[in-house]
Amino acid sequence: MNRNVIREAAKRFRDISLKNKIFFSILAVILIISAAIALLARWILVDNLIDELELRGIAIGRTIAERSSGYILDKNYPELLSLIFDEAKLKERQHLVSYIFVSDREDQVLSHTLTRAFPESLRLANRVPSDETKSVRLFRLGEQTAYDIAIPVTQGIYRIGTVHVGLNKDHIDQLVGKLRTTFLGFLSLVVVIIFVITHRLAKYITLPIFKLTQISEELSKGNFDVKLDAEQVSKGGQPLECPAFANPDVPCRHLDGNLGADLHGDGMAHGNPVCRDCQFYRRQKGDEVAQLADAFYNMIWGIRLYRRRLRESEKKYRSLFDSGPDPIFVINHQSFDIIDANPRAVEVYGYSRDELIGKPFTELAPEHTHEYFQSLQGQGETHGLVTYPKALHYKKGHKPFYVNLHASNTTYKGQPAIVLASTDITEMVEKDAQLIQANKMKSLGEMSAGIAHELNQPLNAIKMGSDFLGMMVEQKREIPPSDLQQVVAEMSSQVDRAAEIINTLRSFGRKAELVIERVDINKPIQAVYSLVGRQFELDNIRMELDLGRGIRPIMAHDNRLQQVFFNLVANARDAISEKKERLPGRPAGRILIRTYQEGDQVVAAVEDDGIGISDTVRDKIFEPFFSTKESSIDMGLGLAITYGIVKDYGGDIQLTSQEGFGTTFKLSFSAT
Amino acid sequence: MNRLQSDLGFPLLTTTSRSLSARPGATVVFFPSTLKLGFIAIIFLAVLATGCHSPDDSYAPKTRDPGVAPGEVLLGSSLALKGHASFLGTQTLRGAMSYLNHVNEQGGVHGRSIKVVAYDDSYDPPMCLANTQKLIIEDQVFALFCYVGTPTTVKVLPLIEEARIPLLGMFTGANALREPFSRFLINVRASYYQETGAAVRHLVDDLGLKKIAVFYQYDAYGFDGLTGTELALKRFNLAPVAGGSYNRGTLDVQEGLNKIMSSGAEAVVMIGTYDPCAKFIRLAHEQGFRPLFYLVSFVGADELARRLENQQGITVVMSQVVPPPDRLDPNPLLTGPDGYVTLLRRYYPEDQPNFVGFEGFINARVLVEGLKRAGTDLTRDGFIDAIESIHDMGLGPDINIAFSANDHQGLDRVHFTRLENGQFALIKDWAEIKAQLVAPR
Repeated sequence: MNRNVIREAAKRFRDISLKNKIFFSILAVILIISAAIALLARWILVDNLIDELELRGIAIGRTIAERSSGYILDKNYPELLSLIFDEAKLKERQHLVSYIFVSDREDQVLSHTLTRAFPESLRLANRVPSDETKSVRLFRLGEQTAYDIAIPVTQGIYRIGTVHVGLNKDHIDQLVGKLRTTFLGFLSLVVVIIFVITHRLAKYITLPIFKLTQISEELSKGNFDVKLDAEQVSKGGQPLECPAFANPDVPCRHLDGNLGADLHGDGMAHGNPVCRDCQFYRRQKGDEVAQLADAFYNMIWGIRLYRRRLRESEKKYRSLFDSGPDPIFVINHQSFDIIDANPRAVEVYGYSRDELIGKPFTELAPEHTHEYFQSLQGQGETHGLVTYPKALHYKKGHKPFYVNLHASNTTYKGQPAIVLASTDITEMVEKDAQLIQANKMKSLGEMSAGIAHELNQPLNAIKMGSDFLGMMVEQKREIPPSDLQQVVAEMSSQVDRAAEIINTLRSFGRKAELVIERVDINKPIQAVYSLVGRQFELDNIRMELDLGRGIRPIMAHDNRLQQVFFNLVANARDAISEKKERLPGRPAGRILIRTYQEGDQVVAAVEDDGIGISDTVRDKIFEPFFSTKESSIDMGLGLAITYGIVKDYGGDIQLTSQEGFGTTFKLSFSAT
Repeated sequence: MNRLQSDLGFPLLTTTSRSLSARPGATVVFFPSTLKLGFIAIIFLAVLATGCHSPDDSYAPKTRDPGVAPGEVLLGSSLALKGHASFLGTQTLRGAMSYLNHVNEQGGVHGRSIKVVAYDDSYDPPMCLANTQKLIIEDQVFALFCYVGTPTTVKVLPLIEEARIPLLGMFTGANALREPFSRFLINVRASYYQETGAAVRHLVDDLGLKKIAVFYQYDAYGFDGLTGTELALKRFNLAPVAGGSYNRGTLDVQEGLNKIMSSGAEAVVMIGTYDPCAKFIRLAHEQGFRPLFYLVSFVGADELARRLENQQGITVVMSQVVPPPDRLDPNPLLTGPDGYVTLLRRYYPEDQPNFVGFEGFINARVLVEGLKRAGTDLTRDGFIDAIESIHDMGLGPDINIAFSANDHQGLDRVHFTRLENGQFALIKDWAEIKAQLVAPR
């Protein structure tokens, strides 16, 4: 219980202000010391006073004893009274001596100096034992207390009476009281002085601390316009007078230490410069408090400088951000919410800035974004650039468009973030599309002969049938129903066939939708086969299909894939033709298209036994405008477009070839 | 303790609070000022309380004053009724009793008769001390009255102060009874300083004498007179040319006489009693020494006159604090129905009116006046206050009693008499004496 009280008290003590701590500590010490001194002094004084008093009393008693023996024996009581009276009332003694009385051998009072009846209790209060020469006892006489000092009166060896001298103890008490008064007066004076001094001292210490505490609090709230005090402000001058303040690029040793200091360029370490007459950083000579104030001021000045630099830097980069020609986003590195967007982003994406801030970025770029940014996160700060070409983003109103997206790590407002720049490549994509379309048209052109041939057959069949029917009608011959049915059925199926070819053609020629869809890899292959298979056979090129079953679909455009396969088989045909031409003896004329699933990859391989691709050409084969053919019709875009399309779908195209023997193009796509 | 608190505690506290409130405003929460003050105050009180108590210097319990009964007020006196100064004591008492008996016969004062218990101290200070103690403790008198002699009265002063009992009417002009002022001492007669002062003035101014010697009793009384004379002479830039003394109770005057004779003094101031003084004068005359003898009143005019009855060719001047009681002019104080002469003859017919008794009579007059003024509720303090209220009590021509809060001497006038025809008569003309002195012998 007591320990708790002490602990409470100690806690309270810790919590009171420094000023009061100093005051109370010093006061407590002073009081304790003073009390100790007072008690000590009193003890010494009182003891000695009492001793002296006793001695005086004994002296008086002895004197009286000697002089009174005659009177006692003569029973001359008036003289006796006169004697003791004189001794008791002699000027200053009267304050000291409370009474004197003389008693005889039988302790009967012979004479006394009191002005009232002699108190019986006093008579026998202090007897001197026969072997003693004195006896001292404290006696209470009415309101007073007195020391009764008894001295025996002797004649020779016999005691004839006793002298009692009553010394006023109040005398001592008064002295002690006076001492105490003086002491207390002195003590209170000391306390007042100490109080004033410690107040001043503590205030001198704590007031600056208090002010600095207040200033620190202001600083922590971000308010840097705190003035320490008028004197310092006036001395400090205007902030812009400081070169480091006015120009953030000027280094100052006070601010930067010696970081980045090698102005002389001679490879030797020099410190950052300081102005000869620095107006702002001070080192005062003074006591700890003054130095603290100075250090504080310097710190504040340093912070102001630093903030100014930061602000300037921020301004610089903000203007770059604001005037960036491409949309720039800053997104949160964990939640991918948009933290900031530049005006161009607002313009391009169609949202207002307020709408953008806080919006998850995936709302603008739904596909691939999550895994895409994962690759950034492992790469640490300010390094690592990830590019995502042809990403599909959505403007306001869910309007899609294509961008090239670049992302890298950064810090924004002190927090790690990701900065993205998106370059609108819709036009380019459209141009690409147009190129593809052109290529397609060219392909279509190439295919036209074959298509025409393909269409001719059904048309011929239809013509034959209808001619037959016409002839029979003309000849008024009866057509047996079974024959009619057969002919009609045949005509119908031929129409279907023609329609199918036309549909396939149409789908080939269609511009691709923007949205990719699930595509079974076998379908475009079959479509291409149906378009050009027969034509190739006419050229003695055999197209074989080895299509796997149960292959998972991939995300692509069907007709673009058709274009891809068309390009590939066209190239294969050209290679075979070239081989036939240049290496007639060799076997040529087989194109094999295989599809299979390998893990989570869907693979389509186009294999030919054409002329093959030399090593030198192999590297450039996918380059646009590169062609091995001399014909001016061929722009050299086919494989480039093929490559682009495959890459668009996140796929991969691999080429294996052996000159003179053949080429295999292997395409692999991620299964959905 | 209260004084201490008020002198130190409160001003201190206000000082403290002033300094605290002068602090500039601070928003940090300090320990509240009042608590701090309280803290300091508590410390002080604690220290003070550890044992300062005011000493009580009076152990006398305050009850009703002794000596006062519904029908009686008791007074005590210790004076020389026997021995070599017995005339002084006896006559003083008889003079007083003449008046008091008369008053008692008339019914007393406020229904109280005045009773006086008198002890003889034979002009012996120890005896006076013992008597006074007895009067105070055993007889429980209300007040002391009619003391005679300097050493005796001075001896009991501490007793009077301690017992706080008034003493009225002392047949002594000792300075010690007047300075330092004591509330309890009520002098009626003028002081020795006044007597010697007046005398020296007459001697020097009126008689043109410069060589003045002093013959004195070797005790407090003599010293007092000597001091008075010296002080008086000093005012004229003079000093006694010689001083001779004798021991109280003895007649060994020759040595003193020799000293004074060899100094060639023109006048001798004598402070003693009637026997040794008379012997001194006779011896001086026998040995051809004829200065002017001046004696203070205490010597006792009538006894001295008796002893010098047949002495011729001496000039003896005596100062008196009361006018001669046997003046021929009618004086109601003397010869009126309650006059001294009348009453003395009634109660003590064998005694002749004398200076000493006259003084006692006047003492009694003052006493009764005081008792009257004190009222029925008689206390010592009240009695003293009553005396002090007597500002102008005329007892007759040349006798005016005046007291006040700081004047406890009733009479101030000094009268001068000269021994003529065996009696002391008022000096009307100093020139006569001067002429006589100059005349060759």
